[in-house]
Amino acid sequence: MSKEDFLAATNMAVNLTLDGDSQTKFVDASQASEDDGDTVKIIKTACRACISNCGVLATVKNGRVIHLEGNPEDPMSNGHMCAKGLSGIQALYNPNRNKYPLIRVGKRGENKWKRISWKEAIDTIAHKLMAAKKDFGAESVFCSTGGGGNPEFWSISRFCNIFGTPNWFEPGCAQCYLPRMCVYDMMYGGTNASIADSNAQEIYFAHDTKMKSLVLWGADPSYSSPASGGSALVNLRAHGVKTVVIDPRMTPDAAKADVWLPVRPGSDVALQLAWIRYIIDHKLYNHDFVMKWTNLPYLVNVETKLEWRAAKSSDSNQPDTFMVWDQKTNAPQPLAYPWNEDLDVALEGTFVINGVTYKTGFQLLKERVEAYTLEEAAKICWVPQDKIEAAILTFTNNMPGGLCIGVATDQSPNSAQAAMAAGIIDMLMGDVERPGALLQRFGSAGATNMIGYCVPPAQSKLPDEQLKKRLGTIEHKGLHMWLAGHAPSVLHAIETGDPYPLRVWLERSGNKLVNLADSQRWAKATEKVDFIVHMYMYPTSFSAYADMLLPTEEWLETDMIVETCNKLMARQAVTHLWETIDETVIWSKLAKRCAELGHEGCRKAFDAEYMGDDLPYWDSMEELLDANLKNTKFTWQQLKAEAPVEYMSEKEYRSYYTYLKPNAAGQPQGFPTPSKKLELYLESMITLGRTGQPYSHCELPAASQDYDPLPYYEEPYESPLPGSKMAAEYPLVMTNGRIPYYHHGTLRNVAWTRELYPAPEVWIHPQAAKKYGVQDDQWIWVESLRGKVRGIAHITSGINPGSVYMERFWAPENLNSKTHGWQEMNVNVLARSKGPYNDVFGTYTLRGYLVKIYPAPEGAPEGVYLEPKEFKSFLATPSAKTPDMTKGETV
Amino acid sequence: MKKIAFAVELDRCIGCKGCQVACKMENHLPLGTNRTSVKEIGPTGEYPNIQMYFLPAMCQQCENPTCVKVCPTGACHVNPEDGVIEIDRDKCIGCKSCIRACPYEAISFNEELHVSDKCDVCALRRLTGNLPACVKNCTGGALHVGDLNDPNSDVSKLIADAGEENVYSLRDFGNGPSVKYILKNDKWLDVLPQECVSVRRGKRK
Repeated sequence: MSKEDFLAATNMAVNLTLDGDSQTKFVDASQASEDDGDTVKIIKTACRACISNCGVLATVKNGRVIHLEGNPEDPMSNGHMCAKGLSGIQALYNPNRNKYPLIRVGKRGENKWKRISWKEAIDTIAHKLMAAKKDFGAESVFCSTGGGGNPEFWSISRFCNIFGTPNWFEPGCAQCYLPRMCVYDMMYGGTNASIADSNAQEIYFAHDTKMKSLVLWGADPSYSSPASGGSALVNLRAHGVKTVVIDPRMTPDAAKADVWLPVRPGSDVALQLAWIRYIIDHKLYNHDFVMKWTNLPYLVNVETKLEWRAAKSSDSNQPDTFMVWDQKTNAPQPLAYPWNEDLDVALEGTFVINGVTYKTGFQLLKERVEAYTLEEAAKICWVPQDKIEAAILTFTNNMPGGLCIGVATDQSPNSAQAAMAAGIIDMLMGDVERPGALLQRFGSAGATNMIGYCVPPAQSKLPDEQLKKRLGTIEHKGLHMWLAGHAPSVLHAIETGDPYPLRVWLERSGNKLVNLADSQRWAKATEKVDFIVHMYMYPTSFSAYADMLLPTEEWLETDMIVETCNKLMARQAVTHLWETIDETVIWSKLAKRCAELGHEGCRKAFDAEYMGDDLPYWDSMEELLDANLKNTKFTWQQLKAEAPVEYMSEKEYRSYYTYLKPNAAGQPQGFPTPSKKLELYLESMITLGRTGQPYSHCELPAASQDYDPLPYYEEPYESPLPGSKMAAEYPLVMTNGRIPYYHHGTLRNVAWTRELYPAPEVWIHPQAAKKYGVQDDQWIWVESLRGKVRGIAHITSGINPGSVYMERFWAPENLNSKTHGWQEMNVNVLARSKGPYNDVFGTYTLRGYLVKIYPAPEGAPEGVYLEPKEFKSFLATPSAKTPDMTKGETV
Repeated sequence: MKKIAFAVELDRCIGCKGCQVACKMENHLPLGTNRTSVKEIGPTGEYPNIQMYFLPAMCQQCENPTCVKVCPTGACHVNPEDGVIEIDRDKCIGCKSCIRACPYEAISFNEELHVSDKCDVCALRRLTGNLPACVKNCTGGALHVGDLNDPNSDVSKLIADAGEENVYSLRDFGNGPSVKYILKNDKWLDVLPQECVSVRRGKRK
């Protein structure tokens, strides 16, 4: 193959003839036998069609995967698999896989490509990187990744740190998970309660958990992780756990909840503040726990917003000593950690001491939520007052319980506050580390740095002067926790060269034009970038704007250590196709070539002594995984052969009350926060905003304003409330959310999933449908200030009447058209990447902006497949196993 | 005589449609051909006090199957071993009489093989001692299968434990649907699967 059209190169051109019944070539496991000389193996691996890691039994015949089903040994999924995972074979053998490195030979967007060798590809990219570094500085190189398609996030971050650029970004991050992860890290120091991210592991022990209630705030495990979290929820409900669901859309979990609050998208924090107010007013909180294990009794100087310290501690096991108001002596007193029974500590109150006003953290919180009565929240959030009260009481009357906050609130500018308020609700109730609570520090095998990831990001290798150039992160310092740049600031820099030009873009993920807000601006911005590489398993809309395509691996081709409750599992390559390479090895190869071209940081990245715990770069996944397994009794080869294995007993794993375990001084060790208490008054937000600590490895200039230590509600910029001029033209509020057939931008190229859900539905309440003249199953236009797209109306009372719901979508069948498949039905054409942003994280507006709807007499967008038979060209084409060069395999 | 059929705990079905994909892979079904389909029943009621549940709809393994009655070649028959209604592909002439006769539209047409196609409760998997693919992979653990005529079978016990008032069947047109639906937390609605929109393709102009 030499010069050819890129869709032909990936076997997706319209003139390609595909075997009509190719899917029938898969042989059923029960039919396959070794009698006829075939080798049939059942390999235990783990799925990565989403970010869960459900155990899988893959039947492999003569190197070809022919069947998948769940592995009952997995303690989270218990042998179940969902539509996404079961479609793994179709994704693996998809006819339009990227098969070889390709370089563009026509104009951008013409889709004309030539096959090149990996050596040539790596050499070409390395020369572009080195030239950009020389001419414009290392920061002119930027990288991106994103959820969906089995990425190793930290391999991107690591490469950037070693190459010397501070700029990588992804569409999630500030819009997905970072706000929750960071805020819970600051307030609690343990993992947050996100079910979709495989935390909240108490839910997997329905048979004997003490949990009595569960709040799902903008989370729908039944749709995001059906086989693990969704299944666990089914078991909990069957065991009598009461559930409350806050979601504008009636998801399966909402349908099965005891109370459903269909909140207005973007107004969640107002509702949370009302919950807090109600819990405080009605004294429903766990008084003893709040006194002894939160920082709410500590006195705060209202001028400086800082807590009053009696003494600073130089011992990292001992917190500073904080001042409280003692009601016995009617005077401020130092409270020695962890508690002093001799004091009668005031929880609330305002105290003027030597002319300085102090309030307790509790008092400040109480004042903060004062305006948010149930009545007020009902008005702001479009939920009946009695329902709000019923929801709160369902939770507070059924303790212990837990509050899982999902991705919804990460997707609008109130992101940090939503995570803080969610944490406060759970912590006020005392639902931390007791049996039945979601917030836990259970055991770990210590074999991965985050569930599903094992690459050390090597953050200390990025020089301070480069770190300070990370785009948008002086203002939004929370991004430093993920070592990531601010996506809208990256876009601005590409468009304008301000504060410096961005010239080379290495992108490894699904469809950037579908997953980023304001897609059309990003598409246009690519014109300003000199060289763009797209690494993925198959071409997406973004590929049309790239100069080089590199083939990465589907999950059935990859290796990874998986920690699942008290077991270690192995995602292991069950076959290998074409010339695909695991991305962690691609980044390693790039670093190696840059080193050869004289890059000092890249050269040192291969020096084991210099790299230390950050590990020297590797030539194969096995090297990396062996290094990660050093604290276990396994090598990667052994783990592959034996997994799933129990690395500790269930009893040992479920280690409750970690904070009460004694420290060296014999005191309870507390929580891994500066005060060793739960920091509901989050003073460290002030430090973060002023210095970047604790997440940046050098001190940074202060943000323009201090971050607020307590949650506050900000009405969305595009508000539908009375008086809004914008709402006169765009009256409906947009929300998004998962469907169980796709993960982020993935699987739209898979026939089995597209057949189930060929095009995006727009959920509309019957009242709104009547008002705007749209009917069920009709193509309609959805339009915002930024653009318009089409979707199919689904008229349902399962949606807040003032809201509409739509999910991201693209049409791989239109890659070769002028739309490149991203412009027709993609809700993120409508989303808002301009400010206002969340102060801490820079979160933009993916949900909670305004739209209007009207019928589309034109019908479906041109070229979009809708009927099952049309997806025939997407069906798997069986292909033989090929040698994996990174494993030393040869032809 | 044995009667192998499904018992479905609707309170456990979360509408993920994993069963449909498991079935497609297991039975090598072409696009457009389905042996099971998850339907949304609802939402009904006055917003926001509404209910919705999911209904996995497959062959109901009727006691008096109209599909068997109308089959001109005997392709569509009851397996005397287990009571399961099966279609013998070698005998099926693709006349679609059974498809028209089924009151639940549970029989699909396999255009590639030009035969009618329906759920046989994964006959091949059961031969090797495995559960049907849908049951095996069902994320909510809603699907169960067993001998409804054996009072000691797990499914019979499940049905008995559920209490008569919580056990439902699809509307009976004299055909005697065997599949049992257990629903405790929502109100059962007498809706036929074909009355539900399963996939929206923007058909309405």
